[in-house]
Amino acid sequence: MGRTKLKIEEGIKKPDKNNLPDEELVKLFIQDKNTEALTKLLNRYLDRIYRCALRITRNQSDAEEVVQEVFLTLVKKLDTFRGESKFSSWLYRITINASYMHIRAEKKHESELSLDNYAPYDERGTLMGKVASKDWSDKPEEVLLSKEAIDIIEKAIDELPEPYRIVFHLRDIEGLSNEEVAKVLELSVPAVKSRLHRARLFLRDKLSDYFFEWGKKW
Amino acid sequence: MVMCKEIVENIIGYIEAELDDKTLEELEKHLHDCPECQAFVRTYKKMLELTGKLKERTFVTPEIRKKLKELLISKIKYQEN
Repeated sequence: MGRTKLKIEEGIKKPDKNNLPDEELVKLFIQDKNTEALTKLLNRYLDRIYRCALRITRNQSDAEEVVQEVFLTLVKKLDTFRGESKFSSWLYRITINASYMHIRAEKKHESELSLDNYAPYDERGTLMGKVASKDWSDKPEEVLLSKEAIDIIEKAIDELPEPYRIVFHLRDIEGLSNEEVAKVLELSVPAVKSRLHRARLFLRDKLSDYFFEWGKKW
Repeated sequence: MVMCKEIVENIIGYIEAELDDKTLEELEKHLHDCPECQAFVRTYKKMLELTGKLKERTFVTPEIRKKLKELLISKIKYQEN
């Protein structure tokens, strides 16, 4: 009898954990304390958690500490995940909260500039003399994707005041929808759109200035 | 009369093709005649293309990955005991 049961079980193909949806891996960890499921889940999100923590803390060793805190929080609190939002949204929220706690603990939080009224045009509503002379869009791909250019882009993003930076990061770098960003940051969708708009205007200006200065060195 | 300001403030709707026909027509007319706005739209789109590629960046070295995995396993074992 026992042998028959074993044979039947052998015939059942075990699901490949690499392809399981997040929520299934969460369930496997909560119900069976399946460590492999949790490791898979975290491997899947490690880069995203790290980039997000780095975007807020702007420091690699701080980001690493935040990631450790996120991992520990997950082990403790994963069983409180109710599946009301996507696992990724829940994880982003934990990461963002841990990052804020971290920068506050390190007393690195500065009073932030508001970009709510930021605009590149003059009081008459024109861009005259402000954009075309610094047009960098025709620079070759290998130049714009060089290490130096990427460093310039990262530096410009880091100059965004924090509330705009995280919206920009989640939306334009991680590729979340406006609705997902709103859920993660507990903001309204119009507030997300408004911050994103000002962040992009600020960043486009910064990039133009930086690329223009950089171009002079060639 | 449409000014550059209208292009700037409607840029998201413009690139995501969410504008109504009348607004789109007015903006495109201005865009056709304004080299500043043409450069604005070009650099704006290029910026999104470049920043979208930052998603491919990884900062997690194999050492960090290993360290975190060990931390995780030790924490789980500690909790089980």
